[in-house]
Amino acid sequence: MPGPTVSYRNLLVVAAFIFLLPIWARLVPGSALHFDIVNLMVLAGIYAFAVIGLNLLVGYAGQVSLGHAAFFGIGAYTTAILCTRFAWFPTWLGVLFGALLAGVAGLLIGIPVLRLKGNYLAIATLAFGEISYIFFRQSGITGGTVGITRIPPFSMFGFSFDSDLRFFFLVWICVMVLMLLTINIIQSRVGRALRALHSSEVAADAMGVNTGRYKTKAFVLSAVFAGLGGALFAHFQRYINPESFMLTISILFLTMVVIGGMGNIWGALVGAISLTFLPEVIRALPQWIPGLPEGLANFNNYVLVLYGLLLMVFMIFMPQGMTVGLARGVSYGEMQAKRLKDRIRARKFSRGE
Amino acid sequence: MKDNPVLEINEVTKLFGGLAALKDVSLSVYPGEIKAIIGPNGAGKTTLFDVLTGIYRPSSGSVFFRKKDIIGLRPDQITCMGIIRTFQTIRLFEGMTVLENTMVGCQCRTGSGFFANGIRSRKARNEEKQIQQEALEVLKSVGLETRAYETGTSLPYGQQRMLELTRALASRPEILLLDEPAAGLNPYETNELSQFLFGLRERGLTLLVVEHDMGLVMDISDEIVVLDYGEVIARGEPETVQNDPRVIEAYLGVEVEDNA
Repeated sequence: MPGPTVSYRNLLVVAAFIFLLPIWARLVPGSALHFDIVNLMVLAGIYAFAVIGLNLLVGYAGQVSLGHAAFFGIGAYTTAILCTRFAWFPTWLGVLFGALLAGVAGLLIGIPVLRLKGNYLAIATLAFGEISYIFFRQSGITGGTVGITRIPPFSMFGFSFDSDLRFFFLVWICVMVLMLLTINIIQSRVGRALRALHSSEVAADAMGVNTGRYKTKAFVLSAVFAGLGGALFAHFQRYINPESFMLTISILFLTMVVIGGMGNIWGALVGAISLTFLPEVIRALPQWIPGLPEGLANFNNYVLVLYGLLLMVFMIFMPQGMTVGLARGVSYGEMQAKRLKDRIRARKFSRGE
Repeated sequence: MKDNPVLEINEVTKLFGGLAALKDVSLSVYPGEIKAIIGPNGAGKTTLFDVLTGIYRPSSGSVFFRKKDIIGLRPDQITCMGIIRTFQTIRLFEGMTVLENTMVGCQCRTGSGFFANGIRSRKARNEEKQIQQEALEVLKSVGLETRAYETGTSLPYGQQRMLELTRALASRPEILLLDEPAAGLNPYETNELSQFLFGLRERGLTLLVVEHDMGLVMDISDEIVVLDYGEVIARGEPETVQNDPRVIEAYLGVEVEDNA
């Protein structure tokens, strides 16, 4: 059985790879890449908060949410408002409040909405996301379309995380802790209950799983994770406006879950990192390869087209996501290589060599 | 044997719109007996199971389990009281191993939640270790332990049925409600199943079985209740029911006339 020990070892390998990334990034001159690896990795890590929770909800419990940008936003606005209104307010407490309030919102929305199933649930969460977005944009306390500026940098125990590199370590250490918690949950009776109700709610009920409560708890937990990510996002960007919490972001989170791999622990990380880098890579392409249309630099206008295409391609060809897809691809390649080798050997043999 | 019934169903009626799927059905199940419910398709057998396990709320009537009213309780609450069911169509949990499927059956006897499991508290770890061991023991008792780490849905059909039964047993129920346990089994497997069910009774379980396989029903049941159009039309020992003219007319038809 792939018990926790295997996943722990994988987590260590992944952590080592990620924490060494800033060193490797130094080896590549930034001007050659046209984007900043460390800066993008911070953003990827922040998105990973939301995606890890959403993967638990969508991939394991099978409950789709198209409104998680709202929880991300609630986390961000809560700490932003607290820390800008009251200069004395500690940022770490703001982040904690942000996550807490996102969780409360998740509970209040989750209880009625989770009675719905499938498409209906998706539409209800989508509506919640839109309502929240309009609230962020229209309300006075959130600063309307301008948003909130001059958010203080995150600091804790007198140490200020005011550079990309410092924030990189803060975010990714937190991500690793969340990963550890999630791995533990998934491989426990709770994880089994979630997967069971995903497969058949009636059968899970009949086995003594309180499906309603499990769904609500998974929803709240994913809201807390998203809220935590949003709160750190506010302190990283130092300003926020409603555009960062639109439907596009909810779809981005879901796309990250799908292309990383629904119900795959590592899928959340793979999805968050690859989809954070992909637009930047495409934008940088004209600078790498001369002759490509310069218009690619304005790629952001078409980013939704990309998400849509990716979702379609992955649902058709790699429904289990990139993580499993890549592993399959590698073993397929190995098989083909072995077959080729056998054929060459057979030919040599028949020639009597 | 006729002491207090474990399960008492009193005049249960279930209406779907104007249609009565169950009409004033009353029956008592006594500890340690194997009771079979038979009847033609659409007679209301599965509906009765759905009422007993909390999926449907009856339109009228009452159901007592060990003198406690269970109408209005959630399915998972009823399961954890000691009434567990299997399904007519196999409903194993997809993507889960045989062992994991069985461990879901231990849900009622464990209580650690998201947080305790997230930090792997001592209580959560002990629970996990204990139910894993218990699940393996149950699997061993049915001969599925060598398949423990295979995906449940990849087993051959007969073993999938067995696994569903095993999963239910892992919850340590008092009453087992089996909805057509022999459906799709070959004669050899059906025979094995009846031996297994006798074994369960010996261990003190009470069984309520909905079944179409008359051979199996006649073989194992202490008492048979016959439903037709939602009503009980006959009840009694296998021989009595077998020769009841109403039953022959409603259900058994020519085949039993030949046998008789």
